[in-house]
Amino acid sequence: MYLTREQERILAGEEGWVKAKALKVIVRVGEALGADRLVKIRHAHVSGISYTNIGEPGLKFLEELASSGAETAVYTTSNPTCVDLTGESSLIDYSYLEQQLLVNKALEKMRVKPTYTCLPYMLRAPAPHEHLAWGESNAVAMANSFYGARTNREGGPIALLASITGYIYDAGLHKIEERTARVMIRFYDQLDDLTASLLGLWIGETVNNIPLLELTPRPSIHEIKLLLASAAATGSHALVVIRGVTPPRTYGEDIVDKISLRREDLLKNYRDYLWSGGDYDLAYIGCPHLSGAEMLRIMQSLEKWLWKTRGKMILSIPPIVSSVFARELEILKKKGIEVIVGTCPVVTRFKYKPGLVVTNSGKAFFYLRRLHKLDVYLASIEDIIGAKY
Amino acid sequence: MKRIRIDKIIVDGSCRAEALVVDHKISFFGEVDPRTGRTVEGYYIGGKALIFPGTRGSTVGTYIIYGLKYYGHAPACMIVYDAEPILIAGAVLADIPLFMVRKEYEELVGHVKNEKQTIILHGHGEEVLMIEQGKTCCSGRNRWSRQD
Repeated sequence: MYLTREQERILAGEEGWVKAKALKVIVRVGEALGADRLVKIRHAHVSGISYTNIGEPGLKFLEELASSGAETAVYTTSNPTCVDLTGESSLIDYSYLEQQLLVNKALEKMRVKPTYTCLPYMLRAPAPHEHLAWGESNAVAMANSFYGARTNREGGPIALLASITGYIYDAGLHKIEERTARVMIRFYDQLDDLTASLLGLWIGETVNNIPLLELTPRPSIHEIKLLLASAAATGSHALVVIRGVTPPRTYGEDIVDKISLRREDLLKNYRDYLWSGGDYDLAYIGCPHLSGAEMLRIMQSLEKWLWKTRGKMILSIPPIVSSVFARELEILKKKGIEVIVGTCPVVTRFKYKPGLVVTNSGKAFFYLRRLHKLDVYLASIEDIIGAKY
Repeated sequence: MKRIRIDKIIVDGSCRAEALVVDHKISFFGEVDPRTGRTVEGYYIGGKALIFPGTRGSTVGTYIIYGLKYYGHAPACMIVYDAEPILIAGAVLADIPLFMVRKEYEELVGHVKNEKQTIILHGHGEEVLMIEQGKTCCSGRNRWSRQD
């Protein structure tokens, strides 16, 4: 691999052994992936920081890094953790609060921003062609597909080490020639949150190559978020090109296969997993985390239906939304809607095992079934909140 | 003494340890307990020359490999057919020698399975693994297994 003089200096330990070791990891992994150089990153996003996932070995590693003086070299955000920052959740287990706070302390000592959200692009929108080192599959898919930035799907440790060095290997989606769409998928019905999730799940399960989506009418960022998160969950899609959305010249096209799909096809394919109405034990909305606008829209729907729900409802949001919309959170609380902050059910443990769960998120559907073995069904927000009786 | 060609040295280092073959890709997260050094099947991997096709699963695996070192159960070296970022990062961080063997992987696995007590030897910087039968001396760290 070709290294610049500055990179050679870091590797030689002139900026400390921690930085040298971190760069050594990036170089070794890059070599194994066939990279011939490193690229400078502008933003790192560290996933894999939930104590219930990383456990004692993860905590020890982060603490050792922090106490050795490791520091982020670029703007670095953090993914949700395993504890709800409101401290009031009826669902989220608090047994690991103390350990999680130690993880957070180590990260903050290294100057990782305490953002604790899976929407790093909301805190700093990536520019087209910009190199990033992001963990968290839904964020990676948004960065590449919606913003036209360049990042592979990194694991938590590599994203953190890249952040300490400021570099990542030039391989995979960092190279324009690896960003060529091969399968065209046409979907000419209006996408809502349910069908966006279903389309994402379907793409993840069926399409192996980089897809090129033609969606008419053009969906909003809300649907795109759900679609990409679902495709990244069931497949390992880090780039889904969407015509008219993905910035031009950030991808190539060499179509070898074309597929047309209708709304009915999706509903039919997933009919066994669609909620048929009635009471539920838990309705979960907020995977990926809700933006302020999305939360307000849900509040409007709830108000229209006089805040009557068919069971417990939980929303999840980033800490930054909770600080800006403190007044709205008070209203939600008064009306019996639970809002959890800086965490999400996918990366944590529960106090009890809920029965029937409904969600509008294909990603939550996939992971809650797989990791928590819950009985989960899909429905649109509108159906969950009101119409279905 | 038999010799096996290394196709790529990913993390260099010396190794003299008893060979242990795991036949499937390992998800270090969920399949290996860093506190005991045991796999779900019950194999103890600490101090062994661990031979396996590669890794799969969660990227938390990197922390588990680091954890094995932290709790004193790190393999003496790892020999794989395929090396994912999860494994490479863990091996670099924990200073565990990691070798990729491609062309002669089946031959190596076959040999370890058919013979009793295979010892894998590797000298820092060498392109080959040497194989002999018998016991390692001293069943622990000795001057050959020391990390460079």
